[in-house]
Formats: sequence, C-alpha cells, structure tokens
Amino acid sequence: MSNRIKGRGAVKGIAEGYAMVSGETIQGWSGIDESTGKIVEIGHPFEGMSMKGAVLIISGGKGSNGWSCHFHAAKLKGVAPAAMVFPKMDSRTGVAAAVTGVPVVTDLELDPFSCIKTGDYVIVNADEGYVEIRE
Amino acid sequence: MLTLTVAEKEMLDGKKGKLKQQAMRKIVEYAEILNASELCEVSMAHLFCGAHDYLSAAGDRSVEEVISIMQYCSDELLPLEEMACFCQSDCGPMDPINYDKMNCTQKEADRNKQFLDCYRACGVNLAGTCVPYLCGFVPLPGEHYVSSESHAVTLMNSFWGACGNADGLEAGFWAAACGRIPKWGNHVKENRLGTHVFEIDAPIKTSMDWDLLGYTIGRRLPSHSVPVLTGLSNRPTIFTIKYFFAAMATTSGPEMCHLVGITPEAPTLEAALGGKQPIGKATITSSDLLESFKILGGGVKRDTVDYISLGCPHYSIEELRKIAMFLEGKKIARGTAVHIWTASPIKTVMDNSGYTQIIESSGAVVLTSSCPLTSGKLPPGVKTMAFDSAKQAHYMTPGRDIKVLYGSLQACLTAATTGKWSGSDE
Repeated sequence: MSNRIKGRGAVKGIAEGYAMVSGETIQGWSGIDESTGKIVEIGHPFEGMSMKGAVLIISGGKGSNGWSCHFHAAKLKGVAPAAMVFPKMDSRTGVAAAVTGVPVVTDLELDPFSCIKTGDYVIVNADEGYVEIRE
Repeated sequence: MLTLTVAEKEMLDGKKGKLKQQAMRKIVEYAEILNASELCEVSMAHLFCGAHDYLSAAGDRSVEEVISIMQYCSDELLPLEEMACFCQSDCGPMDPINYDKMNCTQKEADRNKQFLDCYRACGVNLAGTCVPYLCGFVPLPGEHYVSSESHAVTLMNSFWGACGNADGLEAGFWAAACGRIPKWGNHVKENRLGTHVFEIDAPIKTSMDWDLLGYTIGRRLPSHSVPVLTGLSNRPTIFTIKYFFAAMATTSGPEMCHLVGITPEAPTLEAALGGKQPIGKATITSSDLLESFKILGGGVKRDTVDYISLGCPHYSIEELRKIAMFLEGKKIARGTAVHIWTASPIKTVMDNSGYTQIIESSGAVVLTSSCPLTSGKLPPGVKTMAFDSAKQAHYMTPGRDIKVLYGSLQACLTAATTGKWSGSDE
C-alpha cells in the first residue's frame, strides 16, 4: 500500500491514534508536563498540545539526559503517547522507548516529515514494522 | 542480532541474582531497540540519585519500591546490592546539609536522605554534582562509561576520547547494576566523526562567549549530528568549556563535538570528518551570538533583581576563588537573594581556603549538590531572576511568571551588590 512507510519494529505491539509530527525534537526538562502529558516547551509547534494517546513522530531527543524519565513518568500517570515513531534511533529516544514500552517503529524507509502531518490518523504496527496513514 | 557473552547470559538467566537479571533484561531490550550487535563493559557510572520530582509518578511507596519501579522498570521489589562498577552521584533535588536555606522542608530532606542512604549502601559515592570530571570521575581515552549529565558526556567524549552516550537516567542504573551498555553510538569509533562544520567568525574568549557559542550552535544543529568547530582564535580552558557544552546540550543533543586543533580526534578538519564531506556548513558571527544573548534575556535593564543563581554547571574552585575575591568586604543588596552552587567535594576545598567564609559574610549563600533546575525551588516571591548560564536561563523560563535575565558572572556579581541589572554586558 502506498500510504505505508516500512521500518523496523523496535518495541513490539500495534497502536493507533492521531499523529503529532515535528521534524524538531522536544526537550524533556521544561518541555513535557509529565502529569498531564502537555508539551510546555516555549515556541515548539506542539506547545499546549497533549501527547496522551497520540502517535508521536519526532526526529530524536535533545537536552538533558533525563529525557526518558519524563516519558516514563507520563506512562505511569497514564498520559504517555499510544505509540512513537523515530526515523532514526538515538540513545535518548532508545531509553524512552525501553521505559515506556509503547509500540515504536524506527529506521524508516521514507522521511515521515514529508508525508505525515499533525492530525493525520495513523497506525503503528511494530510487530510487522510499518506506519500506515489513514485519512 | 544481539550476541551475548557467557557471563551476560548468566546474568540474564538470573544466575547472578534478581537485580542483575532485571538490569540485564533492560539493557538487552535497549540494545535491541538500538539494533546493537553486542554489549560493552562499563567501568564508571554517573547516576541521577536522590528524591527527584519525577519519581513521584510511582506514588507513595518505600524508597526501595520506587527504585525498583522507576529505575529498574520492575513491579517486583528488587533486592538492591552493590553496583558492578565505580559510581558517583549527579545533582540531587537539594543540598543535603543546607536544604533549609533553599526552601526545602524537613520532610523533603528526610525523604532525600533515605534515597541517598540507599544508593550509598549500593556503593555510590555521593559527590552530588553535574561536573563529575572535576571530582575524580575521569574516564580515560577509550573507556566506556555512563553519565546522566548531558554536557559531561559531550565534554568527556570530545576532550578525552572517552566513550559514552546520552542514555536516559534509567539506563545509567541498569548499566551500573550489570556493568554493561549496548556497544552502539559513541562506543564505536566510526560513529564519532564530525558531520556539520561551523566556522567561528567571532572572538570566543570568556565563559559567556563559550556559553553563547554553545547555545547558538545547538539552535542550528540537526538531530544526530556531530559538530566540528574551525576558526577558533583562542583555546578554551576547563572553566570556559563547561559552559559551551552545557549550553549546546540545552538547545540540541550532540554527544560528541570536535574543536579542530584542540580536541584529540580532530588534529585537522579532514581527520575530524574522517575524510568525508560534511553534511552541512555554517558560519557563526558575533551577531548570531548577540541574537542568542537577547533570546536568553540579556541586554535589558531592571531596577530590581530578586534572585541571582550562579554555578551552572557547578563552579570549579578557581571560579569560586574569583567570586570570593570580588565579594570580599562587599554586601549583597537588600532584597536580592544570591545562591552559589558547587559540588560538595569542592565546597570542602572552599571551606579550607576561607572562600565560604568570605562569600557568606557578604550575604550570599553557598549551596551544593543541586541547582534551581534540578530542585525546582526558588526563594519565595521571586519576580526577577538572573543567571550567568544559558542552560539555567533557558530551562527556567517556561511555565513561570518570572522575568529571566542573562549576563556574565561579572554582570551577575555587580547586580548582586547593587540590586540593579544594568544590562550592559554586550
């Protein structure tokens, strides 16, 4: 199917939701309110949006090495994303994936930032290794 | 495919106890997420210890339960035992001795002490600092380590050829417990080559110059890139370069950075790039630095400054000596609170050198083991606060109705004694 992007399932599972897409990453400290899931980083395209139940599609981690702990805390508070997609893994996102345990697809064959927009409904299938865009 | 050694398999099978088993399970998961093919032995771990805010997500539980859930991702209570390598603590949520001077309650201090006691029992040395490399945590070239402090990772990799990644806090604890980390990223030589070249067309001399340079490069650096700096007219020192890495690790996430002619893996531009063409090239000018200065809250005037926090990254003894020299015989302005942060081992040298006495006679307070960012604590009623650190100024701005000012250490000290912010730092 043409609206599928193939990749590698990094954390197994299948989940779906509305996409939050940014070629910029998000900062962890002063970036994520882990009790509500809201993005609070000033000037970020996601500022004021909640990642709860969303499919988070971002380029990687930045800022403090504490990046993963904000996702871990959000998971325990029930406000974590439903799934995460990273075009390429890094050590911050890798640990965030390991502590959150939600389905994660990475090593994508296409640039997701050119074909998925915030608000698109997407399915993340990490068992088979793809991201699919539904209208 | 991930291949494990016999010893690693034994840990995974539970032959070395439950803690090592769970730690190895998470390290294996992490390695598979990264698509690493093997693990490497870690000899040093710098860990985010203490009753940090994010741990409250586990609810009201015993310290051991919180550690099992939050740090080892285990619902089962794990027996905590001696770590597998040399461990030192990063910043905590408060000064463990003078916590009352930074608005922490006795209850918060008791809880923090329980956490620290628990880690100490596991063999963690309680240095309590974001500058572990100034306190005996010095990985040698090629040595594999983990650290929870982003700027320390970039500094120790870039300047000493040590091998570490910006792994999350949890991975630090897993690695410390089982002594392994995925052999991936900066643990592999080929991944350390430069990708983006920055020609520096501005004089970079002072700590603030280096701070602004790091912040500016970070603003322009794409994810997963390794910057290479050329054209630097002055060499950094350990005192100035820590600002550079702290600021750069705020606006971006590099784990490695080459300074041509200065850092060991960059004797030449060609060597830094491994003979390849760079993916991107940019020039940084004085006007770029000025733009960052203004974003951070520099250059404005204020008639009052309620709070000045200094020492991010934690000050070295030499910076503290200079502060003591400036403040000797002076008084901090009425209505201005001044906190000066360092590591507890460095505070001992300050005490021995008489600097603590001089600084505290002026009315400033010397604190250790934390900072406003990690503690989330500010003096009551603060409306205007100033920093000499881009990292603090950047992170302390969101979500607070407080005016953040940024300037050099000299500007901050002048404001501390006059109670006014002149903004004449450009």
